[in-house]
Order: sequence, then C-alpha cells, then structure tokens
Amino acid sequence: MARVRGRLAQLGQGWGGLGLWWLLLAALALYPYTGVTHLTLFLGSQVFVLVTLASNWNLIGGMTGYVDFGHAVFFGIGAYVMGILVTKSPLLVSPEWGFLQALPVSGAAAAIFALLIGLPTLRLKGPYFSIAMLGTFVAMREIVRVLRPLTGGGVGLNLPPVLNRLGDYYLMLVLMGLVVSIMWWIRRSEFGQSLIAIREDEIGAEMRGINTTLHKILAFMIAAFFTGVVGGFWAWQNTFIDPDVVFIETRTVEMVMMSMLGGLGTVWGPPLGAVVIYVLQTVVWGRLFGIHLLALGILMVLLVLFLPEGILGTSGRGGGTSIVRLWGRIRKRSDP
Amino acid sequence: MDQVLQALVNGLLLGGFYAVMVLGFSVIWGVMGIINLAHGEYLMIGAYLGWGLFRYFGMDPFAALLLILPLMFLFGYVLQYVLINRIVERPHLMSLLITFGISIALANLFKILFTSDPRNVSVTYNGSVELLGITFPIVKSIIFGAALLCMLGLHLFLQRSRMGKSIRAAAQNRTAARIVGMDINRTYAVTAGICIAITAAAGAMLSPTQAIFPFMGPPLTLKAYTITALGGLGRIPGALMGGVVLGVTETMVSRFVPGIGTNLGVAISFVILVLILILRPQGLLGGLRPVDPEAE
Repeated sequence: MARVRGRLAQLGQGWGGLGLWWLLLAALALYPYTGVTHLTLFLGSQVFVLVTLASNWNLIGGMTGYVDFGHAVFFGIGAYVMGILVTKSPLLVSPEWGFLQALPVSGAAAAIFALLIGLPTLRLKGPYFSIAMLGTFVAMREIVRVLRPLTGGGVGLNLPPVLNRLGDYYLMLVLMGLVVSIMWWIRRSEFGQSLIAIREDEIGAEMRGINTTLHKILAFMIAAFFTGVVGGFWAWQNTFIDPDVVFIETRTVEMVMMSMLGGLGTVWGPPLGAVVIYVLQTVVWGRLFGIHLLALGILMVLLVLFLPEGILGTSGRGGGTSIVRLWGRIRKRSDP
Repeated sequence: MDQVLQALVNGLLLGGFYAVMVLGFSVIWGVMGIINLAHGEYLMIGAYLGWGLFRYFGMDPFAALLLILPLMFLFGYVLQYVLINRIVERPHLMSLLITFGISIALANLFKILFTSDPRNVSVTYNGSVELLGITFPIVKSIIFGAALLCMLGLHLFLQRSRMGKSIRAAAQNRTAARIVGMDINRTYAVTAGICIAITAAAGAMLSPTQAIFPFMGPPLTLKAYTITALGGLGRIPGALMGGVVLGVTETMVSRFVPGIGTNLGVAISFVILVLILILRPQGLLGGLRPVDPEAE
C-alpha cells in the first residue's frame, strides 16, 4: 500500500501527471460537441475560473508560504483594467477585438501592481504579509470607489454585452490548462524548489545563495498576472463591474479554501479542491440561500483542526496523502 | 485655527474609541502570539447586541454593557477553550487561517440572521455641547470617558490581580509558567474572555455613532492591527497613543485634504501600517513581545 502511494505521489510530480492532465483537457475540449446547453458551458467556464484562481493562489500561498489574504485585489485590478479599456479607450473600437487585446493588458497591470506592492510587503514575514495584503485589498476597494471619473465610482461600469459562451468556455479552458501546466513545471524546476526552500526556511535559503527577494517577487508577479487575466475575463463575461462585486472577500476566501482543502503547495491539490468546493457549493449547500460563506468559514476552521495538509498534501513523516492517514487514524481509534 | 482645534478634538475623541477597540486585539497578540483576524467580528457582535437590546428591550447602549460584558466573556472563554487553545502552539499560519475562518463564518452568520441592511441606534442625548468655541458631541465624549475607564480597569487587573500576574507570566514564557504549575489553557481562556468582552463592549459603544452591518469587521481589524503596530503589543498606554495618532490623522486628512471624503480612513491606516512595518518592524514602542514573530 505504501508503495502504491509513493508511486501515486511520483506520478503527480512526473510526466504522467501532466499527461493525465492533458488527456483531461482534451476530453473537456471535446465536451461541447456532445450537444450541451449554453448554461452548461457557462458553468464549465466558471469552474475553470475557480481552478485557475486556486492554482495561482497556491503559487504564492502554498509553494512560497506567503499566505495572501488579499489576492482578489489582482482579480479586481484585472477586471477594472478590462472595463476601463473596453469602455473608455478610443483605440478599442470594435468590442470583439478589444477584449482579446485588453486581456493581456489586464494581466500585465496586475503584475505591475504586484511588483509595486510586493517590494514593500514581501519583505514582511508571515502574518505581516497576510495582513498587509488584506489591507491592500480593503484599501483598493475604497480607492476604486473614489476615482469616479475613471472607474465610475460606486455606480460601476457597463461593458458591451457580447454573448459567446462557446468562446468563453474554450478561452478559460486554454487558460486553465496553461496555468496548471505552468504550476506543474514550476514545481519541478529549480525555481519551484527555491520557492519551497523559502517556505521551509527563508534565512537558510538565503544562506544557500538563493536570491529570495527576486524569487518571491517573481512568484508573486506570475500569480498576479494570471489572476489579473482571469479578472479581465470575468469582467467581460459578467458585463458589469462595480467595487462591491469585484473586490469581494468571497473570492479570496475561495482561493484560500480551495488550495487548503486540496493541499497547500501541491500541483494537483488546488484544482481538486476547487472542483470539490464547487460541487459542495452547488449540490450540498447551494439550496440554502446565502449559506455558502458560512459553510466555507466553518469548513476552514475544521480543516485547520483536523486536516491541515489538505486532501493531497503529504507531511514530512511516513508519506502517503493526508486523507489516507486521517482514515488510518479513525480506524485506529475505533478499534482499540 | 478654530477648525484645526476642532479637528484635533474630534480626532482625539475618535482615538479614545480606537484605543478601547484595540485593547483586546493587542493583549491577545501580546499574550498568546495570535493575530486575531476575527477581531472586527467581535466588535460587530457587540454592536449588534447593543442594537438588539436597544431595539427590543429599550436598553441604553451604555447600560447594556453590564449585560454584554459577562455574556461575551463567556463566549470568548468557550471559544478559546474549544478552538483556539488547540492551535496556539502550532505555526502562525494555522492561527491566522482559523481566525480568518471564524471571522468569515461569524460575518455571514450575522448576515443570514439580520440581513445586510444597516442598523442604527438613535439615543436621545445625540446632541453636542459647546465649550470654548469647540463642539463636543455628547455620545463620543461618553465613549471617550468609558474608554479611559476600561483601560484603567484592564491596567489595574493586569498589574495587581493574581490572574493578571499569571497572564503576564504566560506571555513572558509559556514553558516556565507551565513548569511552575500554572494552568495555561485556563489562563489563555480567561485572557480571551476578557479581551473579547472588552472588544464587544467597544462595539456596543460604537452602535450609537455609526451604522451597523455584518461586514463592518475587516476594516476595523485592519485599524486594530495598525494601532497595535504603532503602540506595541499588549501595552495599554501604547494602545491609547496609537489610537490617538490614527484618529487624529484620519480626522485631519478627511477635513483638510479636498475631495477625499471620510471613506478613505482604511486607506490611510493602510499607508501608515506599511510605513511602520517597513521602517520600524519592531513597533514604535516596545511591548509584551516583539511585533516581529520571527524574533521569538
């Protein structure tokens, strides 16, 4: 059994994991041809959004160990850059073209903001960083509300409605496939190993000659870039943005929870966590109005107490995924 | 000149409230090393209790404190005993995540119970007194007085009483306190009970001055964090000083910088926070322990 588990963990890290992922992507790419409704395509793209966000958060929160409680700020910046470019910029006359041009710009804006805010905040250790980012998030919402001429203030911005569910589905599928593959590559690369070294012992990593500041900033910028792109996409799909729907705590909470549930710092944990939470949300507590965040909060407390490594996370001792060990613990307790 | 003086007085009164609001956060951090992200939600609970007692039982929010303090002490004691004590000695990340989870669960529980409509408490003495050409709003002046009383009480409790001494001992060295036979779990639970009771009392005092809604917590948590970083962990004079600095800065900026409005208080405290964290990560004044968790 232990050997099987070891093989599974290796498979996740190796080419096998990536191969399985691409097979899944191919299946998802063929899925619209089975004759599905627009609603299904829309829900599919929503799930892809969640998976992408969770993977991005995991890069900075899980692999680097800098728990970001304000990551939705990059989502919001991406959404607003998209909104401003599409509605206010004279260069983007045709909305169909405008969207695809503006999408990388949203990501770039978020990445530049990550650079500017990361330079001071990433120097902070642990809890400081978390709260500084929470502050960035809360402050940014107020700033966006005050910058009325540019952002429309509390009234928000209306984007031109272009309904293209199939295009949205494929765009998010490609983005999700790309992001998760990049995470897989980072986890194997020297860059990723350095990030994990920073998480485990930052001073030690620095002693070994790792340029910790550079690594942290780079990881932060990559995570911010794709979060910004997703934000831009979301603004386009939603066709309406205002400070309260874009800068919403729910989004950060979901990113944290999905990564934690799946396993912090693993490649396949956050996507799995995203799907599990989405299913829980729609199937289990979706019928009860407004209970989603309450359930997430309680789930977070329970996870910290009973399963801090998440489903796929492995602890240093013994190996094997933590869910397997939890099961073992329960069995041991029930038969004395 | 009069305007400057008026803004200064307003800032001072606001600072008094901030000081009492931050006490619980500061002491919990100083004693247990836990950054309590659910702090704003305890204020929110207190504010809702103040509103509920006013609305349904006609109790004055300040008289209601007598009921809110023991109730919330019990809440804090149980919460600490059941949940937080289990993760006190785990890495910082775990306490951050668990308090984050508590804060989200509480805010959304209150949204389900009371909807997100803002609630108000309008007391009869909602006017103001003029003294030497400066206006003193009555409610805020009472809050200021009550805040000073709270601080004095907590200070005496920590310095003089036996329980206060064991709390300080637990803050200085957990292991040594355990060796001499202290029940750390109980000490922590009492600390949390007192801190959460004071925090909820601050929330109840806040209820006559501003609208209450379930998501009022996070900005207040952020302000509490800023003030604690300014004033040092678990230091009561530090809390007063940090509160006054933040209160005066906020009032001055919203009064004299054109076109900024009052909503940017959070942004201001955020700027102050980042400046402190970068320039002086050990806090402006010393405290029960260094602000930097790595330095333990």
